[in-house]
Amino acid sequence: MTALDPERKRALFEATALPFTAALYNTALRLTGASADASDLVQETFLRAYRTFENFSLGTNCKAWLLTILYSVHINQRKRAQHAPISLPQEELEALVDEDAAGGDERLPELGERWGLEVDRALRDLAEPLRAAILLVDIEQLPYEEAAVALGWPVGTLRSRLFRARKRLFVTLEGYARATGYLRKPVRPE
Amino acid sequence: MRGHHPLGEEIQDFADGRLPPARREELEAHLATCPQCGRELERLRWVKAGTARLPMHEPPPDLPARVAQALDGEDRRGSHRSPMRRYLLPAAGILAAAAAVVILVSRGPRDLPSAVGRDFAAYRRAALSLDTASGDGPALERYFARRGLAFRTRVFDLGMMGYGLVGARVHRLDGRPTALFAYRGVDDRTLMCQMFEGSLDELPQGGEPREHNGIEFRIFKEDGLTLVFWMEGSVVCVLVSDVPGEDVVQLAYAKAVKV
Repeated sequence: MTALDPERKRALFEATALPFTAALYNTALRLTGASADASDLVQETFLRAYRTFENFSLGTNCKAWLLTILYSVHINQRKRAQHAPISLPQEELEALVDEDAAGGDERLPELGERWGLEVDRALRDLAEPLRAAILLVDIEQLPYEEAAVALGWPVGTLRSRLFRARKRLFVTLEGYARATGYLRKPVRPE
Repeated sequence: MRGHHPLGEEIQDFADGRLPPARREELEAHLATCPQCGRELERLRWVKAGTARLPMHEPPPDLPARVAQALDGEDRRGSHRSPMRRYLLPAAGILAAAAAVVILVSRGPRDLPSAVGRDFAAYRRAALSLDTASGDGPALERYFARRGLAFRTRVFDLGMMGYGLVGARVHRLDGRPTALFAYRGVDDRTLMCQMFEGSLDELPQGGEPREHNGIEFRIFKEDGLTLVFWMEGSVVCVLVSDVPGEDVVQLAYAKAVKV
């Protein structure tokens, strides 16, 4: 994008980027776990996006661009705050859970609205890189390629972590379904 | 192919619609005959259905104003960065004014209610932020004056009608400076008012004309919204909302004054 008149830039930014406030806030909330931190992260994301708005190509995926900035800001904030490391040991990220040890071949229950909170809880328990893969692909519906760019990973890494994230979610949710009596024995045709 | 189990990640590719058609057909044939892989696919789909059920949280009400403030700060810093701007801005202003004239002429008056409606919709989906959050009407009137609006504003107190002020913004409606303020009522009902210098003659044909207490009103219905326009001196006032149309009209009747 060529340099814009300040008023035009502001208007264009408000029309192009700000509609994604809710999406950014929800992603930020699920990354940080706290509303105040999520608000700070969204504000900083918009500010940085605004400063570099000339770098954004109109007509491309603005949400993906904003999520790229958001994740980068989040990672840098975490590093500066010297919180627990974001990256788990590689073997932990790559490890597949043994879902068959936990699960049987019962019919899986319908996931109605009431499951939302349980899914949220299961998502919070995931290691952050696995959670980020779910957030961008399953919730924000980014294509693998754009999600990989946003997270700074090769596409193959995204695909692999997404798979592991879904497997872990399955085990947690299936455990909940079992504990609450939602799993039923299948009716198998003879 | 049928005898070999695909990797789990490839079943995921299938579930996510990422396989090329030929490979997809092969995998479909395998899945039809392999309970183990079928179960893997079912589990992946089950989890995807679960994440689709995640509740979406509303951003805090003050977040749009915080973002707007941050952008304002950046705008102010930007305006001090380059001494060249002193010379470039007047030229840019002339060009922008020329462009605005072209846009206004080409769009015609038809756009005024639509523009107000678009602003309302943008505010509803948090794409249009307020500059300042306040429930104090007189304070907002002073705010508009401080921000350089060259006409007198009147921020209505709608508390008796069940609407509380949320905040305000110095806005531009089809290129003209506008005082915009918003209210929230029960069940998240939203009401927006805009005031700007102009005339009802600028409105398109088709609005329903009404008269109440000697004041002329023009009522438009667009995309489920009701917009009620009237004049107070040289200022056009418009109330807009998606609540039942007659409620908006009655609110306007209650608050409009003949100047």
